Amino acid sequence: MYDFIGSRLVSIALIIFVLGVIYQGIQFFKLTRKKEWMLPPLPLETKPKKKTAGQFTVDCLASLNGTLWKTDPLMTIVTSVFHVCLILIPIFLLGHNMVFDQSWGFSLRSLPESITDVLTVVVLVCAAFFLARRLFLSRVRAITTAYDYLVLLIAIAPFLTGFFAYHQWFDYDVVMTLHILAGEVMLITIPFTKLGHMLFFFLYRFLIGSEYSFARGARAW
Amino acid sequence: MENRMSHHELKPVDAKQIRGMLARKKGKMKRYLSFCAHCGLCAESCFLYMKYHKDPQYMPSYKAINSLGKLYRKKGKLDRKLLTEMKGIVWRNCVLCGRCYCPIGIHIPSMIAFARSILRSQDIYPQLGEVSSESWL
Repeated sequence: MYDFIGSRLVSIALIIFVLGVIYQGIQFFKLTRKKEWMLPPLPLETKPKKKTAGQFTVDCLASLNGTLWKTDPLMTIVTSVFHVCLILIPIFLLGHNMVFDQSWGFSLRSLPESITDVLTVVVLVCAAFFLARRLFLSRVRAITTAYDYLVLLIAIAPFLTGFFAYHQWFDYDVVMTLHILAGEVMLITIPFTKLGHMLFFFLYRFLIGSEYSFARGARAW
Repeated sequence: MENRMSHHELKPVDAKQIRGMLARKKGKMKRYLSFCAHCGLCAESCFLYMKYHKDPQYMPSYKAINSLGKLYRKKGKLDRKLLTEMKGIVWRNCVLCGRCYCPIGIHIPSMIAFARSILRSQDIYPQLGEVSSESWL
């Protein structure tokens, strides 16, 4: 069982993840082939006025007023930290890089274990915050279903089991098997569930032309 | 007007037509619905949500999930009663001002507009007689 989960299922999960992401990406580009949104032309005076560092800082802070930073600063911080850690920790974890090295003969730079351990706790605290929002905030509770709790569990399970495995809590072999399985489930589900917003956030916010685009996206559905 | 309304109430829902409409925009709308994280961050961008004391039923995602989301979940197999309930969500609770903001980038107004089109195809839309200044802003 462990052999299957620890070797063959890893490859299956990675293949499903990569193919799923490619499929979703192709579908996105096919569905948004039309280009109709154009941002209004820039004003004639294109040469920007030189700003002092102080003016620049004030302008940057003022521009935040129209964003979620103004309406929900705590959630903005928590969700930003959570998502950054969610991607960085698995990639730069020493244990994972050792496995990469053994399996594929290459590895990335690793963060010190003490740092990844703290960052894992940060992820778990952020997840507890999301859970509390779902349970106690009426506007979030109104649109929450059992599926949302399941997705949160799928996202958190690799970190929770990884934390237990690192500290060797409970039966190490069982926890490690669960950790690998949780990671595989997460990889498989990313392209086909709500977790797909990891990919679609970038496609929607940068490539689709809209008032809220981060870039000059011109694609339209 | 009365005859017309009773005719609408009796007319059976054309599930085939609804399914056809849903299929036409499935690629875009199903992605919008399935990638919505249900985070509730769109709430405060809706002026109706703010006006009505932060009542969740005015939240943009709530409106999309309980109109278009329900149409896709039930694969168009809805009775007139349920569609009529949706009428309030997509016409009374939303004015399609387009100010709702989704951090992921989901375009909520297009979902509400599409739900309106589907309801309109079944002759479900606000009648002049039922619009009062109180219930319809």
